[in-house]
Amino acid sequence: MSVVAFERRQGNGEWSETELSTIVAALRAAIASGEGRGWETGTTENGDAQFYLLGPLPDQACELCVSRIGGRYILEDGAGRLLFEHQSLPLVALHARAAVRSSRGWLVARAMLLWCITRQIIHEKVEPMLTESEDLLVQLAPQLAAFA
Amino acid sequence: MKRGKHQEVSAGALERSAASEARQLRKQAGDWLKQRRADAGLSQVDLAARLGLKYYTFISQVENGFSRVPTETMEAWATELGLEPAAFAKHLLLYYEPELHRLLFGAEGK
Repeated sequence: MSVVAFERRQGNGEWSETELSTIVAALRAAIASGEGRGWETGTTENGDAQFYLLGPLPDQACELCVSRIGGRYILEDGAGRLLFEHQSLPLVALHARAAVRSSRGWLVARAMLLWCITRQIIHEKVEPMLTESEDLLVQLAPQLAAFA
Repeated sequence: MKRGKHQEVSAGALERSAASEARQLRKQAGDWLKQRRADAGLSQVDLAARLGLKYYTFISQVENGFSRVPTETMEAWATELGLEPAAFAKHLLLYYEPELHRLLFGAEGK
């Protein structure tokens, strides 16, 4: 007698070990970044499986969510924007990794922009004020010296 | 300023504690939203369809306490749940930004 090994039926609200390891492996760099990122799993009202990539501390809000609905994998960000969907989990996991990278790149770009704006403000506003004070001091110093 | 190891550990513990509080509040918001949806007689799929979402998975994401209702869609959520948008937003602020809620509405604003 031979036994046919059926794969575990999907849609039972649980990720298989293979599925979980595929997603976690793709997001390993983000999870192990030491910023307090982590991941959790859950289910929808209908029992469809969800994987949540949690953002850095202290908020730890969902950055990305992978859901499995009827054999199809859905990738969304933490604001519910649909990023990608496909029947191949490895492909969805690749898109998830790319999405994390691009969001980090965006953060770096914002930090750089903020730094440039701050420098520009210092250059335009603070430096003239300092120069003005210096000029005033130069003008007043002889008078103060004479007064003393 | 260079921090000692103990201070770093304390800062880490504080951050984790704040994270735990934020997550707990998001979960409470999710439970409240779930109850309001049930009161409106809608399933997650129904609500997603009414909000124009292709999949209902984001509703679950929010109700499970991992995400927030985006500010730009709060009015639509409130309308579909049969709630007054300002009261809906005010109540969610209690969970999402408790300190801001306290400053705006005081302790009796709950």
